[in-house]
Amino acid sequence: MTVYICEDSLDGILCGVYDAWMSRKGHAHVRLQLDGCFEQELFTEYLIAHREVEKADKVITSIRQKISERVYEKVYVASLSQDPDRADKIYRFLIYGFHFGEKVMDMLQIPAVFEVFQMCRNVYNENHLLTGFVRFSRVPDRGLLFSRIAPKNRVLSLLAAHFSDRLPGERWMIYDENRQEAAAHLPGKGWAIFQADPDMRKEINNWQTDGKDYEDLWKIFHRTIGIKERFNPKCQRTHLPLRFRGYMTEFE
Amino acid sequence: MLIQQDLSLQEKLRILTDAAKYDVACTSSGVARKGKAGMVGNTAESGICHSFAADGRCISLLKILFTNQCIYDCRYCINRSSNDTLRTAFTPDEVCRLTMEFYRRNYIEGLFLSSGILYSADYTMELIYQTVYSLRNEHHFNGYIHIKAIPGAEEELIERIGFLADRMSVNLELPTAQGLKSLAPGKTRDKILKPMRQIQRGIFSQQKLLEELSGERKRLYGGARAGFTGGASLFRPDKASAVLLEGRASEELSPNRSFYAPASLQREQRFVPAGQSTQMIVGATQENDYQMIKVTEALYQSYGLKRVFFSAFVRVNEDSLLPALPGGPPLLREHRLYQADWLLRFYGFQADELLTEDKPDFNVFLDPKCDWALRHLELFPVEVNRAEYQTLLRVPGIGVKSAGRIVAARRNGPLDFSALKKLGVVLKRAVYFITCSGRMEQGTRLDQDFITSCLIGDERRKNWDISHQDSYRQLSLFHDMKLEEEPTREDKVSAVFGNM
Repeated sequence: MTVYICEDSLDGILCGVYDAWMSRKGHAHVRLQLDGCFEQELFTEYLIAHREVEKADKVITSIRQKISERVYEKVYVASLSQDPDRADKIYRFLIYGFHFGEKVMDMLQIPAVFEVFQMCRNVYNENHLLTGFVRFSRVPDRGLLFSRIAPKNRVLSLLAAHFSDRLPGERWMIYDENRQEAAAHLPGKGWAIFQADPDMRKEINNWQTDGKDYEDLWKIFHRTIGIKERFNPKCQRTHLPLRFRGYMTEFE
Repeated sequence: MLIQQDLSLQEKLRILTDAAKYDVACTSSGVARKGKAGMVGNTAESGICHSFAADGRCISLLKILFTNQCIYDCRYCINRSSNDTLRTAFTPDEVCRLTMEFYRRNYIEGLFLSSGILYSADYTMELIYQTVYSLRNEHHFNGYIHIKAIPGAEEELIERIGFLADRMSVNLELPTAQGLKSLAPGKTRDKILKPMRQIQRGIFSQQKLLEELSGERKRLYGGARAGFTGGASLFRPDKASAVLLEGRASEELSPNRSFYAPASLQREQRFVPAGQSTQMIVGATQENDYQMIKVTEALYQSYGLKRVFFSAFVRVNEDSLLPALPGGPPLLREHRLYQADWLLRFYGFQADELLTEDKPDFNVFLDPKCDWALRHLELFPVEVNRAEYQTLLRVPGIGVKSAGRIVAARRNGPLDFSALKKLGVVLKRAVYFITCSGRMEQGTRLDQDFITSCLIGDERRKNWDISHQDSYRQLSLFHDMKLEEEPTREDKVSAVFGNM
């Protein structure tokens, strides 16, 4: 067994796919693992799949040309998943993908395809919830709308695309606490994701938000809209799990 | 009635939210619109829930009344004119500011503006129009707007709002004209149906006009997936024409005649793109479920509505004509009606298949689909690997999504029970009604009593939760939630005396 250790990013995983595939050891004899989240085993050779843009580009081009754009999108979304085995699952999925082509998307009876489908569903679901649950507050010194999230999956890029369409004329920033990443948007310039270094993190923590006005109005609205006779916290918890509430204005 | 204008914005928001909360529709679905440079907002086809209130209902839109002052005295309504409550009204500017600032902070998906009637229907509708106009044109708001049309308002006003809003609704309130007469003395059935018809006509003729102009045939309301077209796909022109014919002149699609709006506007703007909806109160009058579901079906077929909402009656006023409801709002009945509504819109069921005049109420123990299936065991079991999509849809435990996935997946090879589970089929229910490659799951048999007792245990636990929220019950090791009635007094007497 040979294990290819790859970096945790789409490019990194695809470089692993390239190396594992091109090694010609046979699919049953290779495995992909993400750097930093595996335990070493005996009788296993560990190789590092170095990240090189050309390798990843080759894989991307062949996915888009030989399979389809939709499969490429799935692979990208699966790479954002929280699943620790995502690299290997993408590799197994691509084996079937290159064999069957586009129609692999419908073959949920194959376990490898189902796994990727499930990972994607999980990412899309969390992203959809967050498009609603993200709460911006104004940072007046910076003229900025700022939001903090702690998603399980790496949904920041999907969220940023949603909000740049929704609020094209605003300066806003969404900060992912779990990965110390931030997406920032400037009007007319689009958005970008960057890693927040310790100084940046300190600064973010010191930002003062204003606008108690509208935050209070929102809390009043949220409190009042519920019907007392239908009180049902269990139903509320199913739809809006507690883990999101720490970041939402109305539950402060 | 005195209107308090000098209240703080907080106080106004509290009063006018409190007065609006009994309206159920808070969906922001039905229209996909991209953001535009210079505008704020976009809309998503599926709608987005932004929060959930303590009653578990979704908060998607800023749901407020423009004013809680009202000239009508509807017995079920918290804002009835004879109630002695604090009355207030927003100004259009206040509503716009609230909407924009809430939207920027991502609290809401848009605005849902309804209103009590201040002075007259026209006066109120005019104020609402000013608000929406300013929101779209001065504040450049591109998000979702749902406006309640007030029966009795000028046609021209309703039409102008229709070109600005995404969804409009007129509340039917009660399913029969008689119920309406007893509880809402100021309203009549005809008065409510008139704006509903106007909006329906507007939607269809504007759609046709835009199609002619662009030269391509778009699907009404867009939406590539069946799920999003909603009730509008049930629209049957032949059923609507009976009433449509009476206004023949407006049938012709010459823009100047059928609309008041200038031709330039009609050339580019869609009319109520997310469709029309309505709501009915459940349990305020004597109507049974059969009547409710028949009216619902008629609304889909002849008014092309997108959604019909049901609202379990909450007794907010003391009135001798209102039912007492000691067990709280009829939540389980509301739940069953929604289940049946889904069956009508997405599963190809007809109202008459679900209920009949002899059996006019839904089964308390079983959901309408299981109930139907148990009464039609001659149609089962269904072979998953060969059955048509429509047949699969009728199997309990198989939904729109999983039926679609089954049809796609079986092209590439036969499916077995474990594969079905992966496709999202609820095997707990489906297992009694299907075969995979000719075999049923071991231990099941196609027998009405057997299936009923298996299905009811689970269902009963769920129903208990719906109707006894937040309370506790004694668990029993032997008969946990099985179908059994409490022994009546007669049973006990006969047991004592031994005459069975």
